[in-house]
Amino acid sequence: MNLVGISINHKTAPIELREALHLSQDEIIDLIPKLKKDLFEDGFILSTCNRTEIFGTSKKSLLNHRELEEFIISHKPVKGIQPDHFTKYFSCAAVKHIFSVASGIDSLIIGDSQILGQLKDAFQKSEDMHFSGSIIKRVFDSAVRVGKRAIKETLIGEGAVTVSYAAVQVVEKVYSNLDKKSALIIGAGETGELAAIHLNDKGIGKISIANRTLEKAELLANKVHGEIIPFDQLKDHLYNFDIIISATSAPDLILTHDDIKSMMKKRKGNTCVIMDIAIPRDVDNKVSELPNVFYHDIDSLKIIVDQNMRKRKSEIPKVESIILEEMTNLFSWYNALDVVPTIKSVREFFDEIRSDELNKIKHKISKEDYEKLEDMTRRMMGRILHNPTIKLRELAESGTHTQEAVIHALILKELFNLEHGRNNGSPLYNDNNGDKFEEK
Amino acid sequence: MISAIQTLNILLPILYGITFAVYLYDFVKDTRSMSDSKRIFLFLTLMIHIFYLLARTIEFDHTPITNKFEIFTLLAFSISFSYFVLELLTDVRGTGLFIILFSFIFQLISSLFIEDLFEVAEVLRNRLLGLHVVSSMLGYSGFTLAAVYGILYLMLYNEIKMNKFGLIFKRLPSLETLYKLCFYSVLIGFVLLTFGVVIGVIWLPSAFPNFSYSDPKLITTGIVWLIFGFIVAAKFIANWHGKIVVNIALFGYLVMILSIVFTIIFANSFHSFY
Repeated sequence: MNLVGISINHKTAPIELREALHLSQDEIIDLIPKLKKDLFEDGFILSTCNRTEIFGTSKKSLLNHRELEEFIISHKPVKGIQPDHFTKYFSCAAVKHIFSVASGIDSLIIGDSQILGQLKDAFQKSEDMHFSGSIIKRVFDSAVRVGKRAIKETLIGEGAVTVSYAAVQVVEKVYSNLDKKSALIIGAGETGELAAIHLNDKGIGKISIANRTLEKAELLANKVHGEIIPFDQLKDHLYNFDIIISATSAPDLILTHDDIKSMMKKRKGNTCVIMDIAIPRDVDNKVSELPNVFYHDIDSLKIIVDQNMRKRKSEIPKVESIILEEMTNLFSWYNALDVVPTIKSVREFFDEIRSDELNKIKHKISKEDYEKLEDMTRRMMGRILHNPTIKLRELAESGTHTQEAVIHALILKELFNLEHGRNNGSPLYNDNNGDKFEEK
Repeated sequence: MISAIQTLNILLPILYGITFAVYLYDFVKDTRSMSDSKRIFLFLTLMIHIFYLLARTIEFDHTPITNKFEIFTLLAFSISFSYFVLELLTDVRGTGLFIILFSFIFQLISSLFIEDLFEVAEVLRNRLLGLHVVSSMLGYSGFTLAAVYGILYLMLYNEIKMNKFGLIFKRLPSLETLYKLCFYSVLIGFVLLTFGVVIGVIWLPSAFPNFSYSDPKLITTGIVWLIFGFIVAAKFIANWHGKIVVNIALFGYLVMILSIVFTIIFANSFHSFY
């Protein structure tokens, strides 16, 4: 398979280089025609925050990866980029890499399911721009299947692997129905936003945002259909919330032990979960000693994240066997591609003989007899060609006897003279003058 | 029939043992495939146990309540049966092993020591006594479930408080769910025990000439009934919930066990049959 590709990703290059080489949708749209003109028959470009990859079937019999690197750097010059920052792939390794990316085992966060969607988008773009041939299409179908199977058949995507999500996981261990609970998010930064989105996705009953900058609070509140609590009135409203997630960048404590103690008094001892995911911490950690207060900071939530990461890593071998299985299927199909034209030619050759011979007697016998004869010869041809067709296909699809399959195909072509134009199988005789003529 | 009863007597602890092992395996490994099949194991075990209890009742012509070990097999059944109903109603599947373990232990002791009694005191053949004992046993099974869920609640409560995110954290349902299971078990247990007590109070004075309200078993059962009644009242009247309810339920269960031990070992009255 003449599939080649290069990849710059979190394993090969620092974030600055990955960011610099990141291709926007417009840049990809601009690059594909050039790629199609100069290097590839078909292919695709994948560019995310963690990786930029170009794959395709080469126009030349052997494409130098350096040409591909130069191609991308010439279109997107990046200072300090070295050939070492690119990983090069060819044929089998290229397919394996694409499948690994689709399954999430090549991601920075192992088991990340977002990448499958990004890969689908990349293929879609390629298809929209008529840059996807039969091989790329087949690779894409297999890659999507690998991604889906990895999620369905393994635990590669299970468990929280971000602090915000781990916080929500702990909340779910305390409360059974989040739709009857209320949550307060203190701080509308990236971490607070993520936590709010996760809670919203889990169907939290009510969500409120408190932030020093009102505009940011409004922005997040709109996003998660929440309410706004004025930051200076925060402590007066605390007792209304079953879940408090604090993620500000404040240098000092926002909620003291006494604040929480008086809040619990107002709540009549009802359970409250406090997630302090800020650095430095926003809540006095002594509140964890209060009964029915479940307090967790970043360190404790990191324990969950680390556990889940270890679990995901232990699932990699299972994903790899799915990849191997799908690679075997893909290459069986690919190897069979070589023999398909030969099989087709042989069948056509025999069919032409059959038609010729039938035509010769068409007007010498009755219509009924002709139909019977036509039917009989069709079945006869089918039976004669059944075994050779199956055997040749099996040899090719096994992937282990590719050479043998090629030889068999060559012999067939040679024996029936399929390469150099057919003569319909009519035997040739020499006349007395040495000229060749067909038997009539 | 006798040989079938004896075979089932050997088979039942094995079946409870296998069911416990399946629930344990699923708890530790969390395999998706086992999630449904373990319920089938429990269902089959309960079906066989029902057949065993019916066979004993028919063959020996009395409800299997005439000795401690018949009570134990009844208790084993009622604990697992109550759990099975709860599992079906709530679809909480991660707690079964902690409950089935009780059934396994009770059934094992019962199978080892049970006797086949054809001759029993006439009073023990009385159907009202059967109803009184069976409903009281089911009530006690409810309190046993409440205690198990209460302990699981406290275990998970402490794990979350102490930032331990091990097997208990991963496999058990939420604290709120455990609390609900604990409270509903108390509620069901309380209703059934009340039923048993009412039958006893109506029937016992007419059945026993030496009946006395100062009977130790009556008094201790009354105390247990009051404790669990207090939980139900506190929940519905004062909306008590969470850890405090769990703690009182565990205290009630402790009192229940002590009262059983006390009345079996120390008290000797008209109410002692074994």
